[in-house]
Amino acid sequence: MNENKGFKNTAITVNMLWIFLFVLVPNLIVVVISFLERDPVGFFRWEPTISHYINLFDPVNARVFTHSLTYSFGTTLLTLAVGYPFAWFLSRVGRRRRPLMLMMVIVPFWTSSLIRTYALVILMKANGVINSLLVTLGLAKGPVSILYTDVAVYVGLVYSLLPFMILPLYAVLEKLDSRLLEAACDLGATHLQVFARVVLPLSLPGVMAGSIMVFLPSMGLFYIPDLLGGAKSMLVGNFIKNQFLTSGNWPFGSAASVFLILVMVSMMAVYLLVMKRFNRSVMP
Amino acid sequence: MKKWMILICILLLPAAALAAKPSVYVYNWTEYMPDAVLSAFQKETGIKVVYSTYESNESMYAKVKLVRGKGYDVVFPSTYFVHKMRNQGLLAPIDQSKLTNFKHLDPMLLDKPYDPDNRYSIPYVWGSTALAYNADHVKPEQMISWKDLWRPELKNRLVMNDDLREVFGVGLIVNGYSVNDTDPDHIRTAFESVKELMPNIRVFSGDSPKQPLLNLEAHGGMIWNGEAYMAAEEDPAIRYAYPREGAIFWVDSMVIPKNAKNKEAAHRFIDFILKPEMAKLICEYVGYAPANRTAVSLMDKALKDNPMIFPDPSVVEKGEFQMDVGEAILVYERYWERLKTGL
Repeated sequence: MNENKGFKNTAITVNMLWIFLFVLVPNLIVVVISFLERDPVGFFRWEPTISHYINLFDPVNARVFTHSLTYSFGTTLLTLAVGYPFAWFLSRVGRRRRPLMLMMVIVPFWTSSLIRTYALVILMKANGVINSLLVTLGLAKGPVSILYTDVAVYVGLVYSLLPFMILPLYAVLEKLDSRLLEAACDLGATHLQVFARVVLPLSLPGVMAGSIMVFLPSMGLFYIPDLLGGAKSMLVGNFIKNQFLTSGNWPFGSAASVFLILVMVSMMAVYLLVMKRFNRSVMP
Repeated sequence: MKKWMILICILLLPAAALAAKPSVYVYNWTEYMPDAVLSAFQKETGIKVVYSTYESNESMYAKVKLVRGKGYDVVFPSTYFVHKMRNQGLLAPIDQSKLTNFKHLDPMLLDKPYDPDNRYSIPYVWGSTALAYNADHVKPEQMISWKDLWRPELKNRLVMNDDLREVFGVGLIVNGYSVNDTDPDHIRTAFESVKELMPNIRVFSGDSPKQPLLNLEAHGGMIWNGEAYMAAEEDPAIRYAYPREGAIFWVDSMVIPKNAKNKEAAHRFIDFILKPEMAKLICEYVGYAPANRTAVSLMDKALKDNPMIFPDPSVVEKGEFQMDVGEAILVYERYWERLKTGL
């Protein structure tokens, strides 16, 4: 018993130390630097300022943020549109086939996402698989521009993040009591009504969890717009990287990172708030 | 007791051997030096090479700077980073009298404005950034000047390097300015020109500008000569052209950080790299021209006569080497953000 406790305590201490040293401290350093003056030789100077935070809101920088948000919102909506029917199907299919289908969702993601992105390039390029097929079948006269357009970016983002939407949705839909659906039908609801008034409200926690899990990482996946979209617009990820490396403006880059963290934290807060309300409404 | 002593001795032996064995800490670009060169150096000199790599000048600079140049003995920055690091006092002077193979270097690449008299840097390999086009879609006479990139028939068909200095460099050249201009008004003019070029640009390529050309998404653009060489081997329709205003040239050099611990070994390493046989090995591996004139004479005629790798001296004369622009980089970065956000 005593020994067990000792193990527990060491495990927790090691974990906490790890998190403290390698997560909390670096992040605190970023926060501190974001309030310091830029210095061309030493990266930053010990002079407090909030100018970097004010600069974040000038039109160009604000545009970088809104642009990234647009991509992320679009990706979230698309993954929801693709993931929801799939998760529904997965939760209704026979119990024995489910593990296999879940595996099929997960296994591709054991390969590095960078490699899978390059594979998408091979599919979508002008002399690639899709275009050769279209031309051979006579559906297009010449190669259609897919690669280096917004279409390619959304395909890449949705593809990379789809499991994060499917899995939480599946978890919720699987637990959905089918007697509720039968009851709704008995009471004369059409299929659409059953979906809109029973299934959808009850799966809301999954929708929220999935959306958050897609939205947050999509802000950081800047290499997908770079590789598939041709890097023609600047997103938050590249923006921060450029501040640190190209212009040597560490404080400004730090301020942008801190702002990004704040945006994400406030979204999580909204999520928790909504969930609290939801739980109260389901279980009065 | 005795057993313990023996055990401790055995354990300490390798450590002692390691401590006694001189070593040199080399920090280089990824895939920029064949292993054969490193092992040949260790065999000849007995100096152990500790090798690590980086992906960009910027990350190398940040690292060397944070440790104040301690911990690395030989680093390979590009032209304008040599200039920048030299200006900031991060580099140790190189004693040319210790370099017996200095005579093999190409005088064309020595004593350049970024490091007069090569006091701090020894050229390693060099190359250029110029025009690329696909001869199936673009006629050679349509690609002779940087201004040809603005041709309306190339709408949505260009690949540009995802590098603000190079892209705005083209904008500066077509307006008659230097690629190293620091005047904010000139940079703005360059930005205006590049903004007009945007409808033609299909892709900014950060990793490999040859890809969009090979997959036919782009029919022309700017490219590094090594990339163009590799692309042409795959698809002979892809050509490389030096624009008549002059190409952008760069040299990657070997430098010794100011606080390097093994300066003696670093000099021996640099001298070893300057051996013509080694320079030849390296060139065959990396695909860029060595800064070593004697090594060139050892090469195959086909390679030696390829203007893509070895341009005519008059072409080099017309071109420009990138220099550090100091604080003006902030102006460049600002316009780069505006270019990409469309404001």
